[in-house]
Amino acid sequence: MNRGNMKDLMKAMTISAAAILIFAACSKDENGGTGIQPLTVRTAKDIIADTIIGFSSTGQPVGTGKFTFYSLENNAIVPSADSNSGKWDLAFRGTTILTNSGASGPGNGGAFVYVGTFGELGSVPADSVFRTDLSPSNLAIPLGSNRGWYIYNPTANLITPIPGRVIVVRTAAGKYAKLEILNYYKGGVTPDASAPDIVKLREQRYYTFRYVWQPNGTNRFP
Amino acid sequence: MRPRILLLLLLSALSSMAQDSTQFRSDMDEVVITATRSARKLSNVAVPTALIGRKRIEQSGSLRLNDILAEQTGLFITQRFGKGVQMQGLNPDYTLILINGEPMIGRMSGVLDLSRISVGNISKVEIVKGPSSSLYGSEALAGVINIITEQPSADKLSATLRYGRFNTLDGSINGSFKRGKSSGSGFLNSNSSDGYSLLPFSAQKTVEPFRRFTQQYQAAYDISPKTRLSAMVRYHHENIRNSIAVSNLGQTILSYGREVNQDLNVNPVLAHRFNSKLKTSLRGYYTSFASEQQLDVKDQAGTYDDRFRQRFFRLENQTDITLGDAMSVNVGGGYIMENVRSNRYDTLGSVRTNTIGYLFLQHEWKPVQSLTLITGLRYDANRNYASVWSPKLALRYALSSRLALTGSVGRGFKAPDFRQLYLNFTNVAAGSYSVFGSLSARDEVERLRAAGQIDYLTPSYGKLQDLSPETSTGSNLGLQYQWKPGWSLKLNAFRNDVNHLIITDIIAYKKNGGQVFSYLNVSRAFTQGLEAEAAMAQGRFTYSLGYQFLVTADKDVLAQIRAGNVFTRDELTGASRRLQRHEYAGLPNRSGHMANAKLFYASKDARWQGSLRLLYQSRWGVNDVDGNGVINDNVTAEFARGFAQANLSAGRTFSKGLSVMIGVDNLFNYKDPVNLPGNPGRNGYVTVKYDLIHKHKP
Repeated sequence: MNRGNMKDLMKAMTISAAAILIFAACSKDENGGTGIQPLTVRTAKDIIADTIIGFSSTGQPVGTGKFTFYSLENNAIVPSADSNSGKWDLAFRGTTILTNSGASGPGNGGAFVYVGTFGELGSVPADSVFRTDLSPSNLAIPLGSNRGWYIYNPTANLITPIPGRVIVVRTAAGKYAKLEILNYYKGGVTPDASAPDIVKLREQRYYTFRYVWQPNGTNRFP
Repeated sequence: MRPRILLLLLLSALSSMAQDSTQFRSDMDEVVITATRSARKLSNVAVPTALIGRKRIEQSGSLRLNDILAEQTGLFITQRFGKGVQMQGLNPDYTLILINGEPMIGRMSGVLDLSRISVGNISKVEIVKGPSSSLYGSEALAGVINIITEQPSADKLSATLRYGRFNTLDGSINGSFKRGKSSGSGFLNSNSSDGYSLLPFSAQKTVEPFRRFTQQYQAAYDISPKTRLSAMVRYHHENIRNSIAVSNLGQTILSYGREVNQDLNVNPVLAHRFNSKLKTSLRGYYTSFASEQQLDVKDQAGTYDDRFRQRFFRLENQTDITLGDAMSVNVGGGYIMENVRSNRYDTLGSVRTNTIGYLFLQHEWKPVQSLTLITGLRYDANRNYASVWSPKLALRYALSSRLALTGSVGRGFKAPDFRQLYLNFTNVAAGSYSVFGSLSARDEVERLRAAGQIDYLTPSYGKLQDLSPETSTGSNLGLQYQWKPGWSLKLNAFRNDVNHLIITDIIAYKKNGGQVFSYLNVSRAFTQGLEAEAAMAQGRFTYSLGYQFLVTADKDVLAQIRAGNVFTRDELTGASRRLQRHEYAGLPNRSGHMANAKLFYASKDARWQGSLRLLYQSRWGVNDVDGNGVINDNVTAEFARGFAQANLSAGRTFSKGLSVMIGVDNLFNYKDPVNLPGNPGRNGYVTVKYDLIHKHKP
């Protein structure tokens, strides 16, 4: 394949990608309509969520205490200088996840935890209620083991995302996304249960998740 | 024949030593007493019963009760809180352990540590599977293991010394005498080891050094040919060194201390035979268990001191009535007073007490020679929780002199224990979690909440209520085929449905992240399976094969899986998907397949003997890895690997009462430090026994 052909191919791909976006945005078809193309499933890997830098005098692991702010639209970390803006959708610190709403940020965000698989969640169910962050201890995504997205196993001293939990997100801009947390450890690999505690602490607070962001304002995830 | 059987009844058990000379006498001809609380030939009982005789225990080189039980079909030795025994797939909490018919107490987290029991003076162990609460009351939900110690029968005195790896030293002196109407026996055993480390660079040993000492004395006096007074006293003391390294949030905290456990058992019995049709026995029993743990945390002032003291007193009468040739009745009743003092519950000064009154009735009827029908019923009236009726129905039908069918259905129960009612424990060292008994949980959580320490309550908090006994319904359907002496085949299918299971659940979270646990009567489970045993005697060899297939499930988990609410992760992509029913591996800590093959040899003059025992168990669930809270087949890391173990022994008896045995346990050197901490790998030993006085032929 020569250079000219390559260019043509790139061009064709760009056009078709644009067309997909336009079709997706314009289509008012119900499921199965020919105009609907699936949205891209995006993945974020090793998003650092205030990794442990030491221990307090009582032996508690401590980080810097800062959140990592994240934009689902851009699939990128947002500088913490923009924390008081609508530029971020979710923020991560340890197992705590904020939405850009209420007590956490100025955005129109919110979320709830859906029980089911990521693939089968075709749209936000009609009877859903989006929660917002009412206070640092009362968040849209509940804090605590086996309440929100994760379970802590005290025997193994490991944190595992509960399978079959999808975080349905309303972004700061009021758009919808569905998100599944896949892993909480560096490289997306949970340490073995027999690994030393120091490894389990060193490798944790690295989020790997996948999500679908619906840019067109509807709550469907084709 | 009848007077002899009655004598057996009166003695409760007779030493099987006298029968050893009959070299290939089948187990099936042996007499067992546990299945019906009366002496019956093993081949004639209607419920699944196994018997381990003195000779097998010696040939297997066993030291503690768990050693010999580990080699029996369908028994799984658990390794948390000591060595417990799982029967028909039910936890150690649900098997009643008896010594000469009286219950052993002193369970830690439901487990009665079988290594507290020396096998040095055991004449036989009887194992009855299936619910037996109709005769024995609480704890006999999975079954009953009755340890029968050697009864004083003849003049004997012997000394045994065994030395093995890890400086394990076990020495016993065993003697008995009989003079006219009086007889007595004494047994002393010392068992110690340096322990071992399976994990290199670990701050604590896998098994810490320990020293155990057991004394047991028995005496009997025939007041008249029809009346016998006997008594047993047993005392066990164990001292375990304790060095604990708690790795908490990145810091390792070393503590040093010791654990001392003591058991005392006192059992006077008065038995009287009025005539050939009526006899009665009055049994008194006092037992206590005291446990003390002391820990000094390095670089910290003050000693952690944990004390637990349990006392159990029982007075019981059992009367056996024979009605003609076809019917017999056993009727009995008793009163139990139990109390516990512990600084885990409250201050040591406050005593928690329970009393139980009970009555039982068993009726055995042979409408025709080939059919035995047994009905039993027991009522336990408890002061601290709901009273319980425990019925049982068992039958045995002999199709021919060789082939018999057995079937039984019964109810079993286990009363909530003191820990589940009163525990008040906060572990400051590891994660500051708390465990509260159901009776104090609400008050304690309210106290913590008033102190501003509670973050939030879980839905389980709302389910707290007075605990009721755990109950089960168990069925067994069996077939016994014996085509010639020593050659037999036994099959048994079983199913146990357990309700109101008491589980430990999180009722609240503290603001510092610590969890608050309590006990709830919420869970339902079943265990079912098939057990097969074959035995063959050929010349000087005895072969046996055993196998158990087991399926278990938490019924609530099953309902959740059926409703599509349980998920797992694809190991490659990490994506969630619904868990399939067939992937659910059931309750943790259970092997689906367990098998054993054993070969025993004894030379014609009984001077040479040897054994080879192969044991296998398939993988068992240990830990949830994928976050769904259940053990599922598709995630290999949730299981401990299955393994096989070979144990060998060989012995020679010399003249003048000297015998020597050498043995190797775990010949293949299989180790799994995480899941099998009690298995140190290949382990060789030498045993020397000397009979100073022995009335039998050498």
